[in-house]
Amino acid sequence: MILLQSHSRFLLQTLLNRVQSLDRAVELDYHWVEFDDIRYHVQVSMKNPHILLLSVSLPTPPPETIFFGGLPFGAIEAIKAAYGVIVQILDPPRDGFNLTLKLNLSKLPSDEDYKHSLLVKVASIREVVLGAPLRVILKHLASRTVAPDFDRLVALVHRPEESFFLVPKADKVTVVFPMRFKDSIDTMLATSFLQEFVEARRTAGLNNAPPCLWSPSPPMELKGAPENALSANAGFVTFVIFPRHVEAKKLDRTVWNLSTFHAYVNYHIKCSEGFMHTRMRRRVESLIQALDRAKPDSEKSKKTANVRSFKRLSLKDNSR
Amino acid sequence: MDPTSRPAVVIDNGTGYTKMGFAGNVEPCFILPTVVAVNESFLNQSRTSSKANWLTQYSAGVMADLDFFIGDEAISRSRSSNTYNLSYPIKHGQVDNWDAMERYWQQCIFNYLRCDPEDHYFLLTESPLTAPESREYTGEIMFETFNVPGLYIAVNSVLALAAGYTTSKCEMTGVVVDVGDGATHVVPVADGYVIGSSIKSIPIAGKDVTLFIQQLMRERGENIPPEDSFDVARRVKEMYCYTCSDIVKEYNKHDKEPSKYIKQWRGIKPKTGAPYSCDIGYERFLGPEVFFNPEIYSSDFTTPLPAVIDKCIQSAPIDTRRALYKNIVLSGGSTMFKDFHRRLQRDLKKIVDARSVTSDALLGGEVKAQPVEVNVLSHPIQRFAVWFGGSVLASTPEFFAACHTKEEYEEYGASICRTNPVFKGMY
Repeated sequence: MILLQSHSRFLLQTLLNRVQSLDRAVELDYHWVEFDDIRYHVQVSMKNPHILLLSVSLPTPPPETIFFGGLPFGAIEAIKAAYGVIVQILDPPRDGFNLTLKLNLSKLPSDEDYKHSLLVKVASIREVVLGAPLRVILKHLASRTVAPDFDRLVALVHRPEESFFLVPKADKVTVVFPMRFKDSIDTMLATSFLQEFVEARRTAGLNNAPPCLWSPSPPMELKGAPENALSANAGFVTFVIFPRHVEAKKLDRTVWNLSTFHAYVNYHIKCSEGFMHTRMRRRVESLIQALDRAKPDSEKSKKTANVRSFKRLSLKDNSR
Repeated sequence: MDPTSRPAVVIDNGTGYTKMGFAGNVEPCFILPTVVAVNESFLNQSRTSSKANWLTQYSAGVMADLDFFIGDEAISRSRSSNTYNLSYPIKHGQVDNWDAMERYWQQCIFNYLRCDPEDHYFLLTESPLTAPESREYTGEIMFETFNVPGLYIAVNSVLALAAGYTTSKCEMTGVVVDVGDGATHVVPVADGYVIGSSIKSIPIAGKDVTLFIQQLMRERGENIPPEDSFDVARRVKEMYCYTCSDIVKEYNKHDKEPSKYIKQWRGIKPKTGAPYSCDIGYERFLGPEVFFNPEIYSSDFTTPLPAVIDKCIQSAPIDTRRALYKNIVLSGGSTMFKDFHRRLQRDLKKIVDARSVTSDALLGGEVKAQPVEVNVLSHPIQRFAVWFGGSVLASTPEFFAACHTKEEYEEYGASICRTNPVFKGMY
């Protein structure tokens, strides 16, 4: 797995199981948490087996981001556009959650493929809600205009108390990620990983990918951003998105990849640590082999021949 | 935000299946086969190639590092292409291949549970016979690779007892009969502490049942493609096997009414795609019989499971024995056979009653022994009882205090994981 998938695996599994045995009444109550502190809660009651309540809580937004009624800009419209009649937004949401959806599973279309794709879409609720403002901006980019109701510098939440920044222009959108890591080793690995990432962009095959820059200090675009957003221990990554990156079908993927960039880097750092451990284990094994080979023969033969664990005393030793 | 305010991640890695999910739920999110499919085609390439080739090979090797699958996906991948090799990280309840195990955890966390390991405390399980070194190694991987804020390595039999804790009464004394896929342990627990010296383990487990069924079907000459036969045997075991009370009666029943008892298995040959079918007969009850009459399967080990449980309880401290007989808890997938607990209870009761009769005879009828109560408990969540116990344990507020934290790890090193408090009681 190189890229993170946009749908929550467990949510999709639950939905598919539910749809398969819709008329059998069961009681479901699951809580779970995804990366970047997204919490889910799914509930199905015995009384209404075809109604599924899905609650989502989003990461706590930092002060610079704009939230309307606990949701990012454009989220309600995005939900309505994506799900249509099967979903009803409950207001107010459940305690401790930002959004509660009432899914009516009996209203799902009968066409199997369409149904499946719709369920995958429901399982990607995170992309729909959290990526909504990003989608609005990138859609405007596709039509080469600037979204009217945004400032010069837009902050969007992607992790608890952390945000990334967008500078929307008519012909391009600049995206800046301040990268922060808790662990010192992670920070080191992330710095070199991101430098390699920028380097890899220069290879011949990736000419069409968005240009990407890394700098240890805040780039020019972040002028005017709040003070606490400008400190990042693993530097700043800048992507420049052009209209060709958000054409038609590419839009969804771009939105998802940008809004989970931090999780992506984090995942790959953990992977590379695992990879290094594998190499270290192999190295230790080969060194042990070399050591074994270097042992003098006498020692080896002693080990195999002398199986007794105690030393027998001879008569002579006894007399002494 | 503090990781203690989020639910802990509970992963129970078994030899056959891994159960994982978040604490506080009643069911694990995923139950997957513990298997990794690794792409090893890059490892075996010849090294005598030109320099330009080296770079592509190097980057291909790095890609291959991410090119692996776990669980059901792994099995289907390895079936459809030759580039993937299956590797089973856990053998007989012990971690055997740490590379594969680390990768397995990586996928569990990032691909299945999709959580950030830095945000959650982790509860992992181990068998009571795990070496301290292996515990240390687990701690090292969890803290170094995944940067978990806290880790608790629980003994799976104690968790199985804890699973019953909520449903009925607050009983933490009992014998856990844990029959998994790769290992069978009989573990006496007194007041939450494992009686380490009395643990018994049996070299017969779920996998042996499968092998036995496979052998029976092969000997009868059933028409099953050889590459599929193990898998078919496993499915037959999971779907059709049951425990009988008397083999002879059962044979008679089958012979009288074959249409009622003999089942049909239908499959498709993986290579040619041609359909085939075969009968499932006596192996339906002979499979689980392996635990009660092991001599039908192997000549090396012939002590039946009830006798082992009895021996285990007899070797425990005398003041705990009655309580242990009273609370015998089953856990693990291979105790799911129908009526398994009834048969176990009957056989065990027989042994215990025989003993009290002889002791009465020895005493000459002057003192009557109080009858010993034997209870074998089974509950519907037996298959993931260990996971459920972990979920219950990890949702208590005391759990976070009992964990080894990352700060402790950084201060003292991996040796903090060596000891497990549940063994400190008595030996």
